[in-house]
Amino acid sequence: MKVTIKSWTGVATWRWIANDDNCGICRMPFDASCPDCKIPGDDCPLVWGQCSHCFHIHCIMKWLHSQQTSHICPMCRQEWKFKE
Amino acid sequence: MSLKPKRVDFNQTWHELQETVKGVITLANIPRAIWNDRFSDVYSLCVAYPEPLADRLYDETKRFLVNHVDHLLVQVDSYNDNSDLLTAYHRAWTEYSQGIYYLHSLYLYLNQQHIKKQKLSEAELIYGASSNRDEECQEQMEIGELGLDIWKKKMIIPLREKLVSLLLVCIDADRDSKLLAPIDVICGVIQSFVRVEEYKMKGQLNLYQEAFEEPFLKASKEFYMAEALSLLQQLDVTRYMEKVTWRLNQEEARAHKFLHKSSVPKVRACCEEKMVDAQADWLHAEAEIMIKNESKRDLALLYPLLRPLPGGLDPLVQKLTQHITQQGLQAIGPLQGENVYTQFVESMLNVHSKYSELIRDVFKGDQSFVGALDKACSAIVNYRPAPKQPVRAPELLAKYCDSLLKKSPKAASESEIEDKLRRSITVFKYVDDKDVFQKFYSRMLAKRLIHQQSQSMDAEEMMIDDLKRACGYEFTNKLHRMFTDMSVSADLNAKFTATLREGDGENQLGTGFGVKVLQAGAWPLALPPSPGPFHVPQQLEKSIQAFETFYHMQFSGRKLTWLHHLSQGELKFNYLKKSYLVTVQTYQMALLLLFEHCDAIPCREAAASLRLSHDQLIKHAASLVDCKILNKSTEESSELEEDTILTLNFDYSNKRTKFRVTGVLQRDAPQDAEATHRSVDEDRKMFLQAAIVRIMKSRKLLRHNQLIQEVLSQSKVTFAPSIGMIKKCIETLIDKQYIERTANSADEYSYIA
Ligand SMILES: [Zn+2]
Ligand SMILES: [Zn+2]
Ligand SMILES: [Zn+2]
Repeated sequence: MKVTIKSWTGVATWRWIANDDNCGICRMPFDASCPDCKIPGDDCPLVWGQCSHCFHIHCIMKWLHSQQTSHICPMCRQEWKFKE
Repeated sequence: MSLKPKRVDFNQTWHELQETVKGVITLANIPRAIWNDRFSDVYSLCVAYPEPLADRLYDETKRFLVNHVDHLLVQVDSYNDNSDLLTAYHRAWTEYSQGIYYLHSLYLYLNQQHIKKQKLSEAELIYGASSNRDEECQEQMEIGELGLDIWKKKMIIPLREKLVSLLLVCIDADRDSKLLAPIDVICGVIQSFVRVEEYKMKGQLNLYQEAFEEPFLKASKEFYMAEALSLLQQLDVTRYMEKVTWRLNQEEARAHKFLHKSSVPKVRACCEEKMVDAQADWLHAEAEIMIKNESKRDLALLYPLLRPLPGGLDPLVQKLTQHITQQGLQAIGPLQGENVYTQFVESMLNVHSKYSELIRDVFKGDQSFVGALDKACSAIVNYRPAPKQPVRAPELLAKYCDSLLKKSPKAASESEIEDKLRRSITVFKYVDDKDVFQKFYSRMLAKRLIHQQSQSMDAEEMMIDDLKRACGYEFTNKLHRMFTDMSVSADLNAKFTATLREGDGENQLGTGFGVKVLQAGAWPLALPPSPGPFHVPQQLEKSIQAFETFYHMQFSGRKLTWLHHLSQGELKFNYLKKSYLVTVQTYQMALLLLFEHCDAIPCREAAASLRLSHDQLIKHAASLVDCKILNKSTEESSELEEDTILTLNFDYSNKRTKFRVTGVLQRDAPQDAEATHRSVDEDRKMFLQAAIVRIMKSRKLLRHNQLIQEVLSQSKVTFAPSIGMIKKCIETLIDKQYIERTANSADEYSYIA
């Protein structure tokens, strides 16, 4: 071997895999946090429903709390269940 | 002594009493027994049967005292216009005032039982509630007060003119250090004007002020004015100020020595009025020259003189602002060369500390001068060399910090670095476009962190904390986020390595493999240059795949994007006489690995196998050619073309066996700065739009000007947006149908829910 790799330091960025660019509840882009948070990312994560819609966790929790009777997805009106 | 009221022969009793009164008032020796008897007599008269004789006693005593003072006046006045008159008056007053004090005690019963009872309450007197009682037909006074009142009317009033003019002569003589009468005499006479009215509830100083203070101040003003005029003819400004300062202190001390304390500030004010205020125009003109020459001694003399005048310092403050601004712009104007940023920050700090010191020493840290310094520094720091050009300070300051924080062979000591960083905050505080600074700073920080170029993590964190302290949490939170990503990545790598060890150990790199996983939004990073995807060397592929699998196990719903243009590796060269450890960027690494099975490759082929564009390839190849690791088939000076052939240089040697090839991306490209300014502009638009939406969402309905005001107040910490920019953002939001103009007014907006 003329040249061998002793070590390598890679750089990668991560972003959420979401169907939309923006959260359907707060309208903020998923790269940004929900309006109640300051820092996007681990502190303001996204969650997916079984209907495959995706929101800031803080936004969907607020929404579910505001619904009296049944828990439905604000986008497609199907019953809301967190995707495992 | 019997307390029972009884018949009393007034004439006989008063005859005896009067003898004692005379003795008391002239401070003769009164035996205790006599004193006690007369004390009872006063009582007996006050309670006499069938009718109390208190009023008669009062009238006789008053008549006696008037006669006594009339008599004294004749004696005193016989001395005529001589300072002997002051001495005589003072002697008489000293005796009389003491005597009256004793007499007051002798008449204790009259004072307390008879007079107090009939006396109007002070409240009634002040508000005139009761009594059509004429003041002239006058209620009775306590004996002590009566005595003082008689002295005032029968002694001071008739002698007033003479006394005052003698006093003025004496005080004037004191200015020449001549003593015409003993100090205690002069003081005592002046004091008597106060003492005779001291018992009053209000207007206690009326006599003193009218009879003495007023003429005294008038005469003093004339003296000061004359002195000022004669000094002006003889002296230059420095000597004049020295003399006036001396005079002010002298006059203040003299006032303390002779006058009632309430007069001291008045004397000072008169002196200032005639010697400073009246010459203010001239002094202000001289001040301009002093500031221009920075003559600390003169300014230190001038400052206390002008300070008491309303607005007296304003021209100095203005002039100093201009002067510092001018000096500062001169200092940063001609900067040139490699380390312009260091020159800029250090010149700025020099200017700041030089004038801070001047303000502290000369102007006693006066807030208006500190304000002048701030205003000037802000003007220097935010100076635009030409209207369309960006302000240089944000970029230069960020570069300065970078130069301190970046690893370098000639780096200063840790404490020196921290000290310099801390001082740079002084300059930072004056920067208007703090967001521009932040953008430059975060780009440089990103490079330092990604390329492991930080000199000290403690210093990095200290700087972020200082910025946070100056500008708030929002300002630094992305920067904090970057640090968090670094430590999260370190943990992640440790876990990954552990997982590999547990596995089949097939992975080639093992501990040599690491990944920095960064949160996309928090880092100011460009995407990898297109067209991708770059062909990762096959030696790395497995490790990268293993990492991706591992990452997706750890976090679901996340996508990784590799930024190979930012990654780097350490290679071991085995084909040369010595073996070398060389750190290169991943693209360069991939290029060098192509030579495994051949010794020469045309650029075109290399680009194709790595899936890089020609432009990208030659950038990376050129740095390897420059440092002679590769040779090229064409001439020294020519560019790399598509059919240029690259060959391994088997004769390569280097004194150092471990080194780094500086890649293109680590060097600062001039277009970087421009791109940074552009991206700040984008950020500002986003910030303003978000602010407008936030404001409109909470207020629902707002007029144009109110909206502008609220937006300005939300952005002021980090930048000052132009009105035009805000207007554009409002238009954008109307187009996007977040807000609309209301029907009733053209300059009113409402929020569309
Ligand atoms: Zn949301
Ligand atoms: Zn949140
Ligand atoms: Zn749904």
